[in-house]
Amino acid sequence: MSVPSALPTFRNGKPVLVIGGGIAGLTTALEAAEVGCQVILAEKSPALGGRVARMHQYFPKLCPPTCGLEINLRRLRENPRITVLTLAEAEEIRGVPGNYEVTLRLSPRFVSETCTLCGDCAQACAAEKPDEFNYGLSKTKAAYLPSGNAYPARYVIDRAACPEGCKACQEACAYGSIDLSQKVERKTIQVAAVVAATGWAPYDATKIDYLGFGKYPNVVTNVILERLAALDGPTAGRILRPSDGKEPQTVAFVQCAGSRDDNHLPYCSAVCCAASIKQATYIRKLYTQAQITIFYIDVRTLGRLEDFYASVAADPKIAFVKGKVGAVEQDPGNHDLLVTAEDILSGKKKTQRFDLVVLATGIVPQTDGLPAGFALDEFKFLSVPEGRAGLYSAGCVHRPEEVSAAVQDATGAALKALQCVSRSSQHG
Amino acid sequence: MSEAAVMQPDTQFIQRVMASGGGDLKKCYQCATCSVACELSPEESPFPRRQMIRAQWGLKPQLMSDPALWLCHNCGICTTRCPRGARPGDVLGALRREAIRQFAFPQFMGSLVASPKALPLLFALPTLIFLAIAHWAPKGQVTPHLEFANVFPIPILEALFFTVSGFVLLAFAVGLVRCIRTMRTGGATGKIMQGLLPALRQIMTHQRFWMCDARNWSLGHLLTLWGFAGLAVVGTVAGIGTMAGFLHTPLPLTNGLKLFANASAVVILCGGLILLATRMQDPVKRVGSTYFDWFFLAVLVGVVLTGIMAELTRLEQAAAVMYPVYFVHLVLIFSLFLYAPYSKFAHLAYRTVAMAAAGPWTPKPQVAERARESSAAGAVTTTH
Repeated sequence: MSVPSALPTFRNGKPVLVIGGGIAGLTTALEAAEVGCQVILAEKSPALGGRVARMHQYFPKLCPPTCGLEINLRRLRENPRITVLTLAEAEEIRGVPGNYEVTLRLSPRFVSETCTLCGDCAQACAAEKPDEFNYGLSKTKAAYLPSGNAYPARYVIDRAACPEGCKACQEACAYGSIDLSQKVERKTIQVAAVVAATGWAPYDATKIDYLGFGKYPNVVTNVILERLAALDGPTAGRILRPSDGKEPQTVAFVQCAGSRDDNHLPYCSAVCCAASIKQATYIRKLYTQAQITIFYIDVRTLGRLEDFYASVAADPKIAFVKGKVGAVEQDPGNHDLLVTAEDILSGKKKTQRFDLVVLATGIVPQTDGLPAGFALDEFKFLSVPEGRAGLYSAGCVHRPEEVSAAVQDATGAALKALQCVSRSSQHG
Repeated sequence: MSEAAVMQPDTQFIQRVMASGGGDLKKCYQCATCSVACELSPEESPFPRRQMIRAQWGLKPQLMSDPALWLCHNCGICTTRCPRGARPGDVLGALRREAIRQFAFPQFMGSLVASPKALPLLFALPTLIFLAIAHWAPKGQVTPHLEFANVFPIPILEALFFTVSGFVLLAFAVGLVRCIRTMRTGGATGKIMQGLLPALRQIMTHQRFWMCDARNWSLGHLLTLWGFAGLAVVGTVAGIGTMAGFLHTPLPLTNGLKLFANASAVVILCGGLILLATRMQDPVKRVGSTYFDWFFLAVLVGVVLTGIMAELTRLEQAAAVMYPVYFVHLVLIFSLFLYAPYSKFAHLAYRTVAMAAAGPWTPKPQVAERARESSAAGAVTTTH
């Protein structure tokens, strides 16, 4: 058996491009860089962290994602081999495995590294826009910090939200950090491999019209509930129902809101059952008298999550009803919600009243804007390439999965990318 | 612990249901979206989720005795909403076909009418009968105007159709007894005699059907039913009247009965064409169509079309056309009658008794009313 005489030195090889700075992209970049490879991490939004940064807690440990993100960001700061580009999108990939030329589109941030986070720009700014970090539950100024823990810790100006010709922020900045004349730039880079970790978006629940999202204020989605529960969220961690700010005492979780449905997402989104069970604990912790009902088709908590399910199901105030919710209507008087489902185990159809309804919406892979070259599977997730390919994927753009699985997936993708770098530096 | 229940799956039954329109049955994963989507599905015994799993398991007796098969009006909202494409509406249609077959008297007629292979045979019988009448029957006296009776003498047709009607009534009676007995074993407790009048009222007004999600479907069906009822009255009165000798056909166009007959024909034609168009155009395939559906609908619309054409050609005295058209009309009307207890026609009888047997029914209240009725989620006191 022949063993390579020397370990490959990634230092001499071309870099790896990672598209997407969520937990999967961050992990891929760190794993590759920590063995010596050069990495370019391109994130479309103004800050790293992706969906995970917007979560209140992870299941099943019920710990906040901030500590894991902080550790990863420290690894990132300490590693000189990673170049982080925010507001950056890959437009085109040309070439072959080991030798790609990628065009990046860099949108202007209008705020330089000298930003001190003083916030004077936001003070001076008169324009408001929905806060995407909070799924539109709150508003930010057009000059804003993406989130409290944003990395890079720098303000950004959303020129699309600005009034025509307004320069109030530039004039207010005492450090001269704002330059509104910045333009979109394009940059061409040479890389050995590309890992797409462009993540997921929650399924658009307005498409499931009979569940009332977008029509009734007290029907929210699971990602919105994360923001309502988060201490840095719009309600500072108090879960209040949107119509009147009341503390909900009866909450329904609607599982498979779009998932496992040929009319919406044909696949199981894998995380929504555990997510709803986790969110039930948020509510029970805040409101000790609250009654929670989780309507499900099957509770899909695999592996170690089965114990988590069992422990939550033991709570007498959390009921599990087997039967998918087929109708959510609103009491015109008080914005309460009337939820109808057949309880399959009793064989009766019941309409129950709830203060708040949470739709367990599923995972939609984010492949929009990804340059050509990646292969999609039947459900529009990125498929795993065969043989000696150079375009890989990691995280939820690749398959619906929980955070810990996405991290493992990312580590695997980093290894595949490193093999590509190694091959190209040996042969070329 | 209670006694163990022994499940006896009838695999041939499953095969038949899957072959006759319920082909996607096994895709059902029991989420019960259908039971909520259906506006007619009652709270205490919702359908069609339960019927889907029973059909998957081949529990024929439990299904054949279930009034819910007939409470469904086949609007297809369950099929549209089904997340798995299991098409519950079509499965219920296939189960109704199975029930019609099971209750059929004599049994072989049920199988015959349900089988596309037997179609030539079904039409061969009336074709031969009416050819024989046209050929051998003693011709009536010469009339100043051409009449159908010149070729198809009225006394012979009367005798034939009264015999067929008698047989059909007997077949329906036996079928209904079988149906009611089966439903009783299945635990349907509604008092049929008491429930019959409300059921008939709901049927004539289509009160339940209007709750369904497909308005053109219920309008088409309502017109068909009313037109048919009108023609049934006309046919009975004309038949008895002619035999008793106080009516002489053809009636003049200004005759009240004739006016009523023509109006009924137009109504049923409109209804039948709406149903036909809905089935043919159905863009999202929310309601599947099988041989069983087409056979009944085609014969029904054919009877009406040929009836109207026969009348028009007779008025025109177009001898070359009027007799052949009338011949086809007779063949179709004979088929409609004789095969009624075994074709989709039979739903008229079975749905009526099932609605009566299922017990009292009230329409689903509006949201505001249900909001007043609905309880809070938990039984435990909440701190509102």
